Amino acid sequence: MKYIIIVGCGKTGRELALEFSLSFNVTVIDKSLRSLDSLGENFNGRKVLGDVLDVKVLEEAGIRDADVIILVTGNDNLNLVVGKIAKEMYKVEKVVLQVYDTVKRRIFQNKGMVIVDRTSLLVEVFKKCIL
Amino acid sequence: MYIVIAGAGRLGRLLAERLKEDKHQVCIIERANFLCNELAENLKDVLIVQGDATNPEVLKEAKIEKADVLAATTSSDEDNIIICNLAKELFKIKRTVSRVNDPKHMLLYKHMNVDVPVDSTSIIARIIEEEASFSDVMSLLSIKRGRLSLVRVDIPKDSPIVDKRLKDIKLPPNSVLISIIREAEIIIPSGSTKILADDDVIAVTLIDNEKQLIKALIGGV
Repeated sequence: MKYIIIVGCGKTGRELALEFSLSFNVTVIDKSLRSLDSLGENFNGRKVLGDVLDVKVLEEAGIRDADVIILVTGNDNLNLVVGKIAKEMYKVEKVVLQVYDTVKRRIFQNKGMVIVDRTSLLVEVFKKCIL
Repeated sequence: MYIVIAGAGRLGRLLAERLKEDKHQVCIIERANFLCNELAENLKDVLIVQGDATNPEVLKEAKIEKADVLAATTSSDEDNIIICNLAKELFKIKRTVSRVNDPKHMLLYKHMNVDVPVDSTSIIARIIEEEASFSDVMSLLSIKRGRLSLVRVDIPKDSPIVDKRLKDIKLPPNSVLISIIREAEIIIPSGSTKILADDDVIAVTLIDNEKQLIKALIGGV
């Protein structure tokens, strides 16, 4: 079974975690206990409380065995830094991360990471709704 | 030299002032408007750019492509790493220096090719540790990322080198005594200089020979 790590348990992270944990092994990392608790009692995965810029926390979450890491904290720079570490240092096969800043997607694309640019994505959706 | 500093906190500002005193050209990038205004009033001849230094457009405004060095001093480690990364990869800056806020993040700085990550917390902790312990030995400085070290040794009365002349003292290889502090006097020693008890000896050594050197100077251990 695929092993997925999700970093950031905000609204997006939470939804992803709840859905993926139905069919995959999921670990969620967040620095806030309250966010992790928001997953509720039925969440069928592992929760790790800690700071992802500390590689010990990443290793505790099992990054060496992860097939996928998804970075959805609200901090673009954090997502990018940890994404690069996951790809280059831990050789995680699939690294998917979100950014708000379109410029950052352009700069960091082609580094073996999938960068989802939330802002342009929303703009596209809005355009489709209107036109 | 032209130096771009990202972040105008206490460290960034002090650094800008010092560099300015040494006649370097300095640009400082700061996100907070009020800090920029304060800087503009207090720092003369420093280019101030208001904006997010993790944005390449802002770096361009700071004329980063002309910089010899970039120093990232913000209180956010992820921002510092991204700033150094952009400077290196997009603008080909040769030397990036960064403050490391949390020592636990050091490995990331190293992996992300920040040339000189400065972990002030660990540096201060080491100084306090040394000051707090009643040791006769104090590391003053390490150069070349810790390979070369400058130490101060307080010569105890029972040291094997007391009352010996420098030329008769056998020191480990790659170590030199460079000066002796005797009460208020500073002595640059020659071969015939005699070491006395309670002298403070300043020596330079390769880090690998530091322990041997200290043993030679204070005996025992």
